[in-house]
Amino acid sequence: MADLEVPNELRREAKEHDMYLHPIDRDTYELFFGPQHMATENFSIILKMDGNRIEKAIVNPGFLHRGFEKLAEGRPYFTNIALLLRICVPESDVPENIYSMAVDEIVGWEVPERAIWIRTTVLEMARVSAWMFWIMGFGNEIGLYTPGQWAAAYRERFMRLYEELTGGRVYHIYTVPGGVRRDIPGDRWLRQLRDTVEYVKGKMKDFDEILFDNYITFERTEGVGVMDKRFALKHAVTGPNLRATGVPYDVRKDDPYYLYDQLDFEVPVLKEGDSLARVLIRRYELEQDLYILEQLLDMGPPSGPYMVQDARLKALPRFKPPKGDAYAHVESTKGDFGAYVVSDGSHKPYRVHVRGPSQSHGVTVLEELLKGARLADVPVILKTLDNCPPDIDR
Amino acid sequence: MESVEKPRVRVVGEEKVRIKKSFIKPWMGVKYLFRKPVTIKIPFEKIEPAPKYRGFHTLNWKTCVGCNFCGQICPARAIEMTWMEGEKRPHPKIDYGRCTFCQFCVDVCPTGALGFSENFYLTTGGLEEDLELYDWVPIHPDKVRELNEKFGDYRFPVERIEKKGDGVYVYHLRDGSRIEFKILGYGLRPPAAAKPKPAAKSSGGAPKE
Repeated sequence: MADLEVPNELRREAKEHDMYLHPIDRDTYELFFGPQHMATENFSIILKMDGNRIEKAIVNPGFLHRGFEKLAEGRPYFTNIALLLRICVPESDVPENIYSMAVDEIVGWEVPERAIWIRTTVLEMARVSAWMFWIMGFGNEIGLYTPGQWAAAYRERFMRLYEELTGGRVYHIYTVPGGVRRDIPGDRWLRQLRDTVEYVKGKMKDFDEILFDNYITFERTEGVGVMDKRFALKHAVTGPNLRATGVPYDVRKDDPYYLYDQLDFEVPVLKEGDSLARVLIRRYELEQDLYILEQLLDMGPPSGPYMVQDARLKALPRFKPPKGDAYAHVESTKGDFGAYVVSDGSHKPYRVHVRGPSQSHGVTVLEELLKGARLADVPVILKTLDNCPPDIDR
Repeated sequence: MESVEKPRVRVVGEEKVRIKKSFIKPWMGVKYLFRKPVTIKIPFEKIEPAPKYRGFHTLNWKTCVGCNFCGQICPARAIEMTWMEGEKRPHPKIDYGRCTFCQFCVDVCPTGALGFSENFYLTTGGLEEDLELYDWVPIHPDKVRELNEKFGDYRFPVERIEKKGDGVYVYHLRDGSRIEFKILGYGLRPPAAAKPKPAAKSSGGAPKE
């Protein structure tokens, strides 16, 4: 078999038609990466390899396509919450919040202060648990399984808090237009949240020792998948990936929503733009998020109602907002997440558009960064870009 | 880019950030070997769900008015209104193959008849009759609470649904009691069997569904 040679004409023809060449041709071959590989989550990459180097990468998404935006047009306003939060699984509160904020703006509701406080806290908790999920994934990619298991255990504590607050563990279905669905279960829950924050804060040192300050992490990530400022801005990169290239853009600072203009926190920025910078940025942001949660707990939830008082909410399935449109966006761990909702005055939205960060991170940027990388670096680049495949397939 | 950079943003790590490399530090994780594990040994230990965990539904048949608000708000279209003999109004039948456990149906229920329990075990042995189990008209909350106190493992309160001929269903509950009723039809409109109420009731087994 090894002696078999592919005739030159056949090779040329295959190249012209972009065809699959049998791996027997040892110069270049095609490698299907994913979708069952743990690093790719749920989409695959077709890699055109030249030995160990990647010549060309073609992202092959679509395994999670459910048509969220079209489905949302056929369902009443409140019901869409149970659908849209499936766009980003590790932090399902972000799609809930952007949609609710947009509908609030269309109706012109003044969301009660207590609801605002709860929403901010829920978003920050979602960020911390999403970082934990990311540490789990990233640790597994570079072969450090121990921190991943710790992170999963700490995420479980936040999931327990969510369970008591919202009644669900992963899909909370909690933030609705006009406020939130349930009140805080009591002071016990607040004390538990403070304990959890302090517990995770105490564990940051261990994470540093075993993951972020690890020789393996440095060796695997330094100088891998470098992107510069101009490239990042051109390809609409947002979130921690953009901040790792030296642009201090954070929606929480630049377009403050909820309570973020009253909170004191820093935006970490690194200049290198390689995978190591993206890893370290996430580590600093986790620290800042824990600090924000502490501030929120010091502030305490304001008293008052947790849901807007409106007679229209008596008949939820037939709730009709006035005509109009609104755009709202929040800062998620993946990047800038936004929703655009158009209302035509009926009980279903005319159009719901979601602007997710994963389209640029997971498709255009990934394809560019993978050019010339080694095969072993694919999971590292993929995981430090941190995309959300359901968001690509939206 | 200048418009993006604001002086208000205090930036950390502008100077080169490097944590000191170390070969020994990763071995610090070994100390966790001597600590109590956080994992739960599931068959031997038990997880208690949160007090208001969104689990299976309960329904008070006396107060349900059959308004179909639950069927209208359901995002998964899992709710089907069911007409039963002896009930003036239709009651929701919930298909757990579709249900997303969002409990919007509980929120919109105008009389508070539809509620939820903390029961969350949704596993089957894969048999056909096991799958049919999860398509039911919910039972009274007091009964579910009683079963939970007795067994305490948060499983589905019905053990087996027996389907007799002529639309008669029998729910065999876990404690051995039975609930027997006859389904006349589905949908918002009363079926032909239920419409002439006194006549249909007196004639007994005449309607066929």
